[in-house]
Amino acid sequence: MSKSDFFTLEIIKNGLITANEEMFYAFGRTAKSPVIYEVLDYAVAMADQRGELIAQAPGVPGFSGVLDFAAREVLEKWNGELYPGDVVALNVPYKSGTHLNDVTLALPVFHRGELLSLILNKGHWSEVGGMHFGSWTSDSSEIYQEGLLLPCVKVYNEGKPNRDVIDIILENSRLPQHTLGDMEAQVASMKVAARRVEKLVEKYGVDMVKKAMDKIIDDGYRLALINLKKLPKGVFEAEDYVDDDGLTDNPVYVRVKVSITDEEFTADFTGSGTAKGSIASPYAATVSGVRETYMAVTDPHVHFNGGYFRPLKVIAPPGSVFHPTKPTPTSTYWESMAYTTDLVWKALAPHVPDKLTAGHFLSILATILGGVDDRTGEPFAIVEPQPGGWGAGHDKDGESGLVACGDGETFIASNEVYEKHMPILVDRYCLNIDSGTGHGKFRGGFGVIKDYRVLCNEAYFTVSIGRSKFPPWGVAGGLNGTPNYCVIFKHGEEPRVVRKIAALKLRKGEVVSLRSGGGGGWGDPLEREPERVRMDVKNEYITIETARNIYGVVLDPETLEIDREATAKLRERLKREKGQRASK
Amino acid sequence: MKDETTPIDPSIGVVKTIQKSGIDFSRVTSIIHGQTLVINTIIERKGVKVGLITTEGYRDVLELQRSNRRDMYNFRYKKPDPIVPRYLRLEVEERVMSDGTVLKPLNEEHVRGAVAKLLKENVESICVSLINSYANPSHEERIGEIVQSLTNTPVTLGHEITREWREYERTMTAVLNAYVKPKLSTYLSKLEGEFRSRGFKRHPFVMLSSGGVSTFEAAKKYPIFTIESGPVAGVIGGVYIARLIGENNIIVLDGGSTTTKASLVENLIPRVHTEYFVERTRYTAGYPVRIPVVDTFEIGNGGTSIAWIDEIGNLRVGPKAAGAFPGPACYGKGGSEPTVTDAYVVNGLINPEYLLGGAMKIHKQLAHRSIKEKVADHYNISVEEGAEGIIKLANENAAFAIRVVSVQRGYDPRDFTLIVHGGSGPMFAPFIAQELEIKKIIVPVIPPGVFSAWGMLTTDIRHDLVFTEIVRLDKREQVQKINQNYEQLEERMISIFKEELGVGEVVVHRYADMRYYGQEHTVKVPIPNMKIGEEEVRLIANRFHEYHEREYAFRLDGPIEIVNFHVVGEYKIKKFELKEIPQTADSPDDSLIGERRVYLNGDDLTLSVYDKQRLSPGFSFDGPAIIEDPTSTILALKAQRVSVDKYGNVIISER
Repeated sequence: MSKSDFFTLEIIKNGLITANEEMFYAFGRTAKSPVIYEVLDYAVAMADQRGELIAQAPGVPGFSGVLDFAAREVLEKWNGELYPGDVVALNVPYKSGTHLNDVTLALPVFHRGELLSLILNKGHWSEVGGMHFGSWTSDSSEIYQEGLLLPCVKVYNEGKPNRDVIDIILENSRLPQHTLGDMEAQVASMKVAARRVEKLVEKYGVDMVKKAMDKIIDDGYRLALINLKKLPKGVFEAEDYVDDDGLTDNPVYVRVKVSITDEEFTADFTGSGTAKGSIASPYAATVSGVRETYMAVTDPHVHFNGGYFRPLKVIAPPGSVFHPTKPTPTSTYWESMAYTTDLVWKALAPHVPDKLTAGHFLSILATILGGVDDRTGEPFAIVEPQPGGWGAGHDKDGESGLVACGDGETFIASNEVYEKHMPILVDRYCLNIDSGTGHGKFRGGFGVIKDYRVLCNEAYFTVSIGRSKFPPWGVAGGLNGTPNYCVIFKHGEEPRVVRKIAALKLRKGEVVSLRSGGGGGWGDPLEREPERVRMDVKNEYITIETARNIYGVVLDPETLEIDREATAKLRERLKREKGQRASK
Repeated sequence: MKDETTPIDPSIGVVKTIQKSGIDFSRVTSIIHGQTLVINTIIERKGVKVGLITTEGYRDVLELQRSNRRDMYNFRYKKPDPIVPRYLRLEVEERVMSDGTVLKPLNEEHVRGAVAKLLKENVESICVSLINSYANPSHEERIGEIVQSLTNTPVTLGHEITREWREYERTMTAVLNAYVKPKLSTYLSKLEGEFRSRGFKRHPFVMLSSGGVSTFEAAKKYPIFTIESGPVAGVIGGVYIARLIGENNIIVLDGGSTTTKASLVENLIPRVHTEYFVERTRYTAGYPVRIPVVDTFEIGNGGTSIAWIDEIGNLRVGPKAAGAFPGPACYGKGGSEPTVTDAYVVNGLINPEYLLGGAMKIHKQLAHRSIKEKVADHYNISVEEGAEGIIKLANENAAFAIRVVSVQRGYDPRDFTLIVHGGSGPMFAPFIAQELEIKKIIVPVIPPGVFSAWGMLTTDIRHDLVFTEIVRLDKREQVQKINQNYEQLEERMISIFKEELGVGEVVVHRYADMRYYGQEHTVKVPIPNMKIGEEEVRLIANRFHEYHEREYAFRLDGPIEIVNFHVVGEYKIKKFELKEIPQTADSPDDSLIGERRVYLNGDDLTLSVYDKQRLSPGFSFDGPAIIEDPTSTILALKAQRVSVDKYGNVIISER
């Protein structure tokens, strides 16, 4: 390579990465489903001819690891039978997927008959059939109940729509127009990226573009090794429970053993239990979940690629909750996938405090509220995650009302927009102060309360809430956070607390109240600066009683001034009592 | 004329500059003021204590925000601070529905209680922002009256700034207005007093982010509309030049010392949108500000951007910059990091002896050493090759800014003429033009360093009104609403101008933010200024399809709806005119001042150097060539031709 080629490669590398970003924006702005355009529940990527990830732009970090699996599945099945203008669709979870709503499309890019790259786009389709509206559900026992399976089939043949397959898809969807719109937008955005690759080839030649792809992956691997050197070495373990196995109320035991060396980062989930219902995390999702924490502890700002993930090994025995086999349902896969991120996080948090916080509310709190708008006769649906409280850091309070680790640049929709589009009134949307948070030297952030009141004659409500039994964990003496849950207010019935419910019928005027929990604390609450405690009381984050009983800070109920002397005495006494309890 | 800013009281610096200039104010015809006080007050968190009154159940809108984790793998992500702490965010009982009907009447006792509580906490500014006030602002208005009956504390009502939906965005915009209001108000009053006392008799104006100007009075009430002014003024100046010389479609590129900014203008109308953010970066959510802003894109890449080698050995340029201090290595002010300017000096692209007409000595050997040690030695290449790598990456960054405003928004840069200003703009331009196949570059006759300030002199008085109402084009009975909405907005527009300036003859432009039914994102489409009937609806629909297809590469069947009605009112003010300049020399050779050895695209070349000040209209010559004057350098490459138009603008075109 000549010397000036070196800088040209950099320019091509940037061009490939930018192509992904352009595809990402193009799709986000043209999709017809709110879950795409508001929640950014999608990811785009580019793989090389071997299916290695070159670049990716995910809207949610939960998708950071599934697209290279999809690329390899496409290449395995269609080896030698891909042509320019083809588009392949796949959503079967067991090899490369998540749940059936997440449909990956793959578009091959050729140069003079040679496959150069695969452009990939994974989007959440609002409807793919199945037993309930919105397709995903929390009460399925087999995958066949969750909608249409697309086993790596061509939806476009050499540029022409494959009517047979597309008609099957549309006929199986309750919202065929949304489904078609999403698919078309996906394809349009992929063409943006494909054109950019073709342009780069035109300008710099195919060899340089291939070299740049290789260099991206080599650079990624080298950077990963440099970053691994900075991590603590050894074996770190954590265990926890998923609220239920998907069908019964029995929790699932989960565990991880993380081993870090200079060359490898291994997460071994051997010993974890089994799922019965839809909560299982397909292996690709499990890898994806671990990649999140791997990114967080190594370098959150890396343009990651196949090379960067090369040192990462994920072990999950087939049949376990982290590696389900057919026909295990997976439509609420995120419930256990989140634990793959969280377990590695929990194992490492005390050892990597500059990168990790205490535990957070973790659950997506995936919600569907839909029905028919009496005013227009048209169907409506809210499909969304809920934000919640994050854990404290070693030097900061946790964030309040932030989306969970599986979500990223995910925007919680505006209530004004909902009220305009749907027969819904949002009675309140505020911090969940009532549930409290994980107290500590630094305290967790707060969850939220969102109350939806139904204004049409009937609507259906589905929710899947995790971390409702086992709250977010504290670190270094910080207290645990608080659980997520939902309260249903129906006419003539007592309010009912639920964590999972499928297609519950609601009538006009009835209310569902979603409540996410607070994050875990970091450090002993008795060491929190009294001034911070005073401001928390003034801001009505905590009560004056909590200030006294948990933080040992005595405030004047009128002026909220700190009684320094009384505080010192109280703290000393509380510390003594704590010591006695601990020694018992 | 330039002088240093005086941070404690910025009006002092302005007055000092005015005094230094010795201008007779009784003879000044117009004053247009651009300032960074608003943006700096926000960025430095130096605004006043604000109290917020809001709807029951919505106290935490500012803290919840949109809950996105922009830095998604950073598990220690921090949301933007809510500006108003929770104890100063108070709820009152009231509720308006999305169609504007009142569900719960306003509890005025609650309002009085909230005001008393805020005053007890010594707030200096009060903001009122209620749910669905975009659909019916009567409760906000009533709260405003009650507040004013109780105190002189300035009030900001959310719907007065914008009547677009989305509670967090509207509330944040209003809160930021309240946050900066007392400060900007005092500042402008002081300044106006100074102008008056020196004999100035007309209305002074303030530059707006929309590309227009407003009176001081309007800016004091709604300072948030002035949040961006410098970059915007540069775009307006570019439009002026384009109109003058008959170019319709331009991209204005401002290559500064630490950043490069690009803006695309089609048919001489800058793209104005209301999706602006303060402090938003790749990794921070920033604050949404829903006010009309000329669409510009900024990237951390300028003349003093630092070249560095990352952990795995790849060369990068920016976003860190050496700025004015310590500056590039070649300034000899202690800077040791290699910058883009150092690369230009080493390769002879800018004068290796001096900058600023001799005011600043250049130390080529320092630039040389810095690039050698920090870049070239690492790759075991020559210093010139290292410098060329830096220049290439800087050009690539600047080209990226242009890609964002063109390709990413569905435009083909080949259809546009590049207008460049700023110190490094004319240096990036010839390379970018080749990369993106742009056929023509214009370097305006106005010195690149003061182009933005000059741009302000070419603006009109402008107001924008935006109102959210969903109207389906396929529902016949809704068409009347289109007329109603525009008529109402225009009526209000005219009364605003009457009140402000006592003028009636306002030019009005209509726009609509439109989308396909079921989609969320909108496209801004110009709407004809006439009674809308079925024929016009068809025209509007066609125009929307066309705009949508350009921006997103496809069109859909199915219903179309208008989401926002947007009306722009403009009142032309007397402007500074660019004049033709006489021919002062016969041949380009008369302006030739010498030759310089340069290293360019891997070759050692000898380039002719021309004196920009001695170029005369009608001159033309082939590149490669360098044109310089005391404040700037222009570069033309081999396949490019340089010509000078009758105003003295330098035009570089494809040969």
